Amino acid sequence: MSRVLPSHRVSVHRVASGGMSLFAPTGLLGPSSTLDKEDTVLAPPSFTLNGLLGPVASTSALAASSSESGPSKVFTPTGLLSSDVNGTKSAPIELPYDDDEPPTVAQALGIPPPVSEYVSPFTVRATTFDGKTIHLRKKPPRRNRLLLGSFTERMGNLLDVPIHRLLEGLSTDTAAKLQASDIQAATHPESEAITEDTLWVDRYRPRQFADLMGNERVARETMAWVKQWDWCVFGKTKAGKKRPREGDEAFDAMDEYRRPREKLLLLSGPPGLGKTTLAHVVARQAGYEVMEINASDARSGSVIDDRIRPALESGRAVGSTKPVLLVIDEIDGATGAGESSNTFIHKLIQLTSDKPRKKNRKGHDNNAKRPILRPIICICNDQNAASLAKLRAVALQVRFVRPADVHTVKRLREVCEIEGLKADGRALTTLVGIARGDLRGCLNTLQFIKSRNHEVTEAVIRNATVGMKEADTSLLSVVNSIFSPLTRKRVKELGLTEADESKFVGRISREIDGCGRENSVAVACFAHYATVHQHDANFSRYEKANEWLVTFDLLSAAMYSDGDFALSQYIAYTLVPFYPLFNQRGGQRIERSQADWEAAVQTRANEEIYKSLSRCLQTASTRHGGDYRHLVGTPVMQLEFAPCLNRIISPPLRPVNSQVIKPEERAVLARLVDIMATLELQFYQERAEDGQLTYRLDPPIDVFVTYDGKRAADIAVSRYAVRHLVAGEIEAQMISRKVDIIEKGKRGKHDFFDKSSPAKKPGDGGSLSSPTRAPDGADTPNKRARVEPKPVDIADKPPTDFFGRLITAPSLSTTKAAERKNVEKKYRVTYKFKEGNSAAVRKPIKMKAFM
Amino acid sequence: MSLWVDKFRPRALDDLHYHHNLSARLKSLAASGDFPHMLFYGPSGAGKKTRITCTLKQLFGPGVEKLKIDQRVFLSPSKRKIEVNIVQSNFHLEITPSEAGNYDRVVIQELLKEIAQTQQVDLNAKQRFKVVIINEADSLSRDAQAALRRTMEKYMSNMRIILCANSTSRLIAPIKSRCLLMRVPAPSDEEMQTVLTHVARRAYFDLPPEAAQEIIKDANGNLRKAILVLEALKMQSPDLTGPLTIAKPDWETYCQKVATLIVTEQTPARVMEIRTKFYELLSHCIPPTVILKTVAEAVVSQVDETLKADVMHWAAFYEVRMRIGSKKIYHLEAWVVKVMSLYKQSFYSLDMSDF
Repeated sequence: MSRVLPSHRVSVHRVASGGMSLFAPTGLLGPSSTLDKEDTVLAPPSFTLNGLLGPVASTSALAASSSESGPSKVFTPTGLLSSDVNGTKSAPIELPYDDDEPPTVAQALGIPPPVSEYVSPFTVRATTFDGKTIHLRKKPPRRNRLLLGSFTERMGNLLDVPIHRLLEGLSTDTAAKLQASDIQAATHPESEAITEDTLWVDRYRPRQFADLMGNERVARETMAWVKQWDWCVFGKTKAGKKRPREGDEAFDAMDEYRRPREKLLLLSGPPGLGKTTLAHVVARQAGYEVMEINASDARSGSVIDDRIRPALESGRAVGSTKPVLLVIDEIDGATGAGESSNTFIHKLIQLTSDKPRKKNRKGHDNNAKRPILRPIICICNDQNAASLAKLRAVALQVRFVRPADVHTVKRLREVCEIEGLKADGRALTTLVGIARGDLRGCLNTLQFIKSRNHEVTEAVIRNATVGMKEADTSLLSVVNSIFSPLTRKRVKELGLTEADESKFVGRISREIDGCGRENSVAVACFAHYATVHQHDANFSRYEKANEWLVTFDLLSAAMYSDGDFALSQYIAYTLVPFYPLFNQRGGQRIERSQADWEAAVQTRANEEIYKSLSRCLQTASTRHGGDYRHLVGTPVMQLEFAPCLNRIISPPLRPVNSQVIKPEERAVLARLVDIMATLELQFYQERAEDGQLTYRLDPPIDVFVTYDGKRAADIAVSRYAVRHLVAGEIEAQMISRKVDIIEKGKRGKHDFFDKSSPAKKPGDGGSLSSPTRAPDGADTPNKRARVEPKPVDIADKPPTDFFGRLITAPSLSTTKAAERKNVEKKYRVTYKFKEGNSAAVRKPIKMKAFM
Repeated sequence: MSLWVDKFRPRALDDLHYHHNLSARLKSLAASGDFPHMLFYGPSGAGKKTRITCTLKQLFGPGVEKLKIDQRVFLSPSKRKIEVNIVQSNFHLEITPSEAGNYDRVVIQELLKEIAQTQQVDLNAKQRFKVVIINEADSLSRDAQAALRRTMEKYMSNMRIILCANSTSRLIAPIKSRCLLMRVPAPSDEEMQTVLTHVARRAYFDLPPEAAQEIIKDANGNLRKAILVLEALKMQSPDLTGPLTIAKPDWETYCQKVATLIVTEQTPARVMEIRTKFYELLSHCIPPTVILKTVAEAVVSQVDETLKADVMHWAAFYEVRMRIGSKKIYHLEAWVVKVMSLYKQSFYSLDMSDF
């Protein structure tokens, strides 16, 4: 029996003690009951001696004690009777006799037992209706009865497991261990060694809604939300009668499934307050089967499609008849921060926001995504985690807050009583204070203490919770604890003396270390030290602070650039001095400052602009024989080139038509356009938000003369009309240049062949160049020579082809080629494609007109 | 069309307007046949690169002006791709290894070996060697410089290296000892004046001497800047008459503002204000050392004589730290606070002596 689950044991003890109030050691009972009438009544002929009797005894005892009547208490020990009272274990045939028997038993027991026959101390003799005598094995004596008996009364309402489950568990356990415990009990009846194989956290986890502690509002809110799904999940028949309650208006009128407006519930709060437990309890209470996804599962976006969607669509878990409720635990660790559409969070939101479609009901659109008809509860610690930003918008948020310490202490005291720990309220209050209301942490600590001593005093608590103090190490809390001293309340909670309180180095450095983001802490310190309102006449304090920041930077630079991570243990200490320098009682709470981050973002954007400018310079230098390349260098471009270039490209032009401007202005315009086109700087037309058209410089190098959002004063603001003019000119220039490049490319080839053909055939060159040369296609060298002149006319090739085909059959013999040549030389036609001009006149015309 | 800086850049050693001694020396070196490795150093805008290209032309003839610019991709040991722009002719090659950041060693090793191990194939080439120009040599990492050492000796027959740097202080001694050091000092005001008038003449306009003086004063020995400013000025007010205001680069004006802020008030609120200004400057990609130097100079011009030395001392002190460290803004602010404290102290001590 030593390994029975404690909750079971509790009940057993209670029963036993109830019995014991009348009976001394059970061994004596055996003989007394032999002559009892009840015994004869109850023992059926079919009754056989087996191992089950032990448990029978105990279960019956339970039932008896729960009725709390004196007689039944008396009645318990025999084991036989109890089985009848409850009727769960022994044969059902016996049941009819049960109910009227107890009083007689009591009477019978009142009679001093006659010692007539020899009965083994471990058996009970009983007689059947037929007068047969049978021996029943007696329930073995229980250990710890006396130890725990005194707590019985107070524990009466603490039964947190349904009774039938208790009974089941108890009976199987006892059946298995009966023999062993029998012997053990006989040899060491006083043994108190209890080995524990479950955590208290699990043992005292609430199993029912009513057991939930603290946060009643949170629990109710959660339950109410889950209940809102009833209409959708269970159909109106079940929940119909409850409809006209106020919860009704939460339903989305547009939703044909009458789901709640928010399809997700987001539970958030510090660890150890019972978020997961709440979700599970509520789900079970509301009749759902829980499907849990937590940090131990893969949580990429694909999981949604692979696992969650099928489960939710089918509506119930495998092998269960209950509808499924999805609990996503520790969701703040899931992927979701990025913009990518494949993150877990993104997919989850998508999943819930799928619009129900009428067709789906009829099921002839299987591929379409079906709406989700099951509730989803998400649980996280940090409500403001970056990855949850999108989720927050669509979820009903329920925040857990630390319950009043009184409640936690009360629950702890109850647990201590059950476990036989002597705990004074003061010690427990301290414990809760240190743990910041973390009930799980408290229970674990208590269990740990229990394993060593039986008394919980303040000293013991302090000893056991040495490491627990810095449980909360988010960036903001660390920064806040640097800039403000411990609150009086916290000092009291931690039980620090004056001397302890003044010792800050260890505390602060541990917090900074625990946070693990020294760089961010440093940035936050940097951002806030100057905002602390303290009189500092000669800046000595600020100097010191900066000295430490510089030291921090040197250390961390050495650490990261040289990989010298042995330095990391000293890093935290460089930030500790901010505490004595700047801590301030009652200063306002520090919020995160974005200045540094914003500057970094801005820097990155501007670097990108510089890069594109340097790319422009590179291309310009390839076109102009490496001319611009000297301006690309790192300091030169930012310091000299960018400011000057901005001035060069913004001359004070008047917004007039390019045809009518003064000659000197025309020169300036031409130059401006030249430079801009070379550098591929362009004005792009853009429509602003207010519908106004603007020209934007691209790449936007004008940011480099814009400081504090203001352009340099000496640069004239170029007006829309001017930019329009310039943009048009640049475009024309770019186009003409493109044409130039194409033609240059053609000419380049042309030149190449011109040069190379004489090199190959110096003798033939002269004859080839004369266009009127008569074709003689007979000899092979000439044939090859025919092939060569073709490229000469590459620039005019399309017309050549065109004419050739028009005039002759599409054969490409050498003679034809020559003919073509003659024809082409006589009537030379060139086309020029003018991009952007569409002033064409369409008119039917014969080919003859060209020739 | 090119900017004037490029358009009127001298192409031959004979065309150079100043440092004629240097030109003569380079000319004789190019003619001598045993051209050494060289290190050109001097302030920005003094004409180092111009002299290098002129020397190359002297060495190889007009062929060096036919440039080809392409991009090469190198693979770092960690398989990261590094893109480096290479400007090359048949006779020389120009790289800026600092483009590769921390991986400049890879570029130096691979590229230089490749060049060094191939011989000049053009039989008509005047010289048997190719020249590699390394720009911004003072930003080469220590590893890259070490990689350069042996290559410079081993492949002397195939390759010469010309380094171009602002100062020699960041080059390791072995490199310096392998090179012929060429200092290109900043031009004097008169020299700049001649260059500017030359540019104006070539661009067909008259430059009033007062305007030239203004520009020169502002440029502070940086000829490139002077010509850029001249061109900007010409674009802004084409006739160049009347009172001219030389526009300082915006970042410089901004630094002046910061300096004024420091001097006028010394309070925590002011520290915060200056911090946002520093952030603004840094986000415009102005190198932090330049910011510190410019602001310090501006502060020095405004404070009492007794403080000047201290202000500069601390600027130097924090610049060193800034170079070692990684988070520049801390060091900038540390300097500001230091200067404010100095200023306050001197102020109070003055008061004390009065009473």
